[in-house]
Amino acid sequence: MNAIEIRNLTKNFGDKQALKGLNMTVPMGSVYGFIGENGSGKSTTEKIICGLIHPSGGSVKLYGKDYTDVDVRAKVGVLIESPGCFPNYSVWNNLMLQAKNLSIENPADEIRKVLTLVRMEGAAGNKYKNCSLGMKQRIGIAMALLGNPELLVLDEPINGLDADGMRIMREVLLDIARSGRTVVVSSHILGELEKVATHYGIVRNGKMIKEMTAEELNLSCRTFVALKTLDMQKTKNLLGVRYSRVEEDEQGYLRVYDAKNAEEIVSYLYSLGLIVIEIKTDKIGLEEYYIDLMKEKGVN
Amino acid sequence: MEKKFEKFTFGKRLDSMLNVDFRRMFTIPFFYIMVGISLVVPILILVMTTMMDGSVTVDPNGNETIMQGFDFVWQILGSVSSSGQDSSAMMSMDLVSMCNINMMYFAVAVLVCVFVSDDFRSGYSKNLFTVRANKTDYVISKTLVTFVGGAMMILAFVIGALIGGKISGLSFEMQGFNWANLLACVISKMILVSIFVAIFLVMSVIAKQRLWLSILLSLGVGMFLFNIAPMVSPLDANALHVILSLAGGTLFCVGLGAVSNLILKKTSLV
Repeated sequence: MNAIEIRNLTKNFGDKQALKGLNMTVPMGSVYGFIGENGSGKSTTEKIICGLIHPSGGSVKLYGKDYTDVDVRAKVGVLIESPGCFPNYSVWNNLMLQAKNLSIENPADEIRKVLTLVRMEGAAGNKYKNCSLGMKQRIGIAMALLGNPELLVLDEPINGLDADGMRIMREVLLDIARSGRTVVVSSHILGELEKVATHYGIVRNGKMIKEMTAEELNLSCRTFVALKTLDMQKTKNLLGVRYSRVEEDEQGYLRVYDAKNAEEIVSYLYSLGLIVIEIKTDKIGLEEYYIDLMKEKGVN
Repeated sequence: MEKKFEKFTFGKRLDSMLNVDFRRMFTIPFFYIMVGISLVVPILILVMTTMMDGSVTVDPNGNETIMQGFDFVWQILGSVSSSGQDSSAMMSMDLVSMCNINMMYFAVAVLVCVFVSDDFRSGYSKNLFTVRANKTDYVISKTLVTFVGGAMMILAFVIGALIGGKISGLSFEMQGFNWANLLACVISKMILVSIFVAIFLVMSVIAKQRLWLSILLSLGVGMFLFNIAPMVSPLDANALHVILSLAGGTLFCVGLGAVSNLILKKTSLV
């Protein structure tokens, strides 16, 4: 059974059509990376899943039941945009309110548990408004984790965090993923998403353009040979004659995408009098795959 | 294979929602400020109007206006419906008729609007409505909790009136009514809070995070009904007035509660 099954979902905001027949399948126990540019419909979809806005058409099923089912929705945890906390309450009191809201039997124990999971044990007494952005995001996740939810919907939990905040958040997300829960997580920071996601959904203009598993992504990500020579411009020109795609990357390497292997390039360049000083083979990551896919679809 | 979920029954949901809302109301300073204002306002009104009683002001045209204060303390709570002589808490537009317990219904509007709007402004509504697909428990809980809060403000006003009466030295004489009538009057006024709470809740869920709009709408719409309060709860009220207030309160809460519920169901919650 799938945790989320969305079929032909549409949502109109006045004249603007935010979702245009979106389909989405999130298997149970997966960490689903939900990717798309700004305004592509990610947040709208997530808000519909959580019942915060109403779809104009289509169906949304959570664990085989309609998304409005009271019992299923009681098992959904959410962090959308920002955590819903009262600024003048302490972290503990904010969590206590949500724990009471969920009728949790031992709220204090449960709160301690989720605070430990998000590495916030020492900050329970802090006023929410005095917490840093990274702490607030983690409080939001702690709140979403209360009541042992089956499904977590996290909208951009990594964005805006510094390197340390990102590291902690990655660890938290990995811990959540290990717990077997289904997680839908959207982010623009694809490199971070790649480290936790087991499935991906790429949305554009209110439509799902690609859904795949991490393995499928791995297989479809093209390999390339990255190299450096003493005369990069000449090398680029010469390789450009033989190979269809040769690009210079941010680290100053020349990337050759459709080469069979590194040796082939080395011997080719050697025959032309060019010495390769550094060479390696690699695979493009999620971010580059996404950019390539967007280029294919005509987006710059 | 279908996944089994624990039943989140209506009783359990309402119980937890009430728990949250009462906890919230009794922990926000704003509620105590409102109760404090309700306590202090009648003291100020009674003391100041007694001090100014009989004073004469002359406008630039030479017209004289004589300030008239309260004749006795209970006038600040209502008027005797049967006598027809005194109409301090009825609809006339003099200072004494404007400054009485009925002002508290305006204050209740602010309490309800702030309380509901806070859910949306803080983003707490996202957590709340994600796990609560059914909005009925939210509406019932908000109505009950703000009704209790509003009733406490009315009670604070009555206590303030007693203190103010003592300080100002006004008469506690009862003309045309007795203690039982007075009790029925106060109970009716407290029950009438439910009517206003139901109206203010509708306005608050329409305005959501826009506090200014919810207060504006509440005062605007409430204005049409503020006049019923003195009529339904006179100083010589009896059991019938209490029952009438109760019936009206129930009717408004159920009817307008259904409207609030519908608005929450049909509109965006973020």
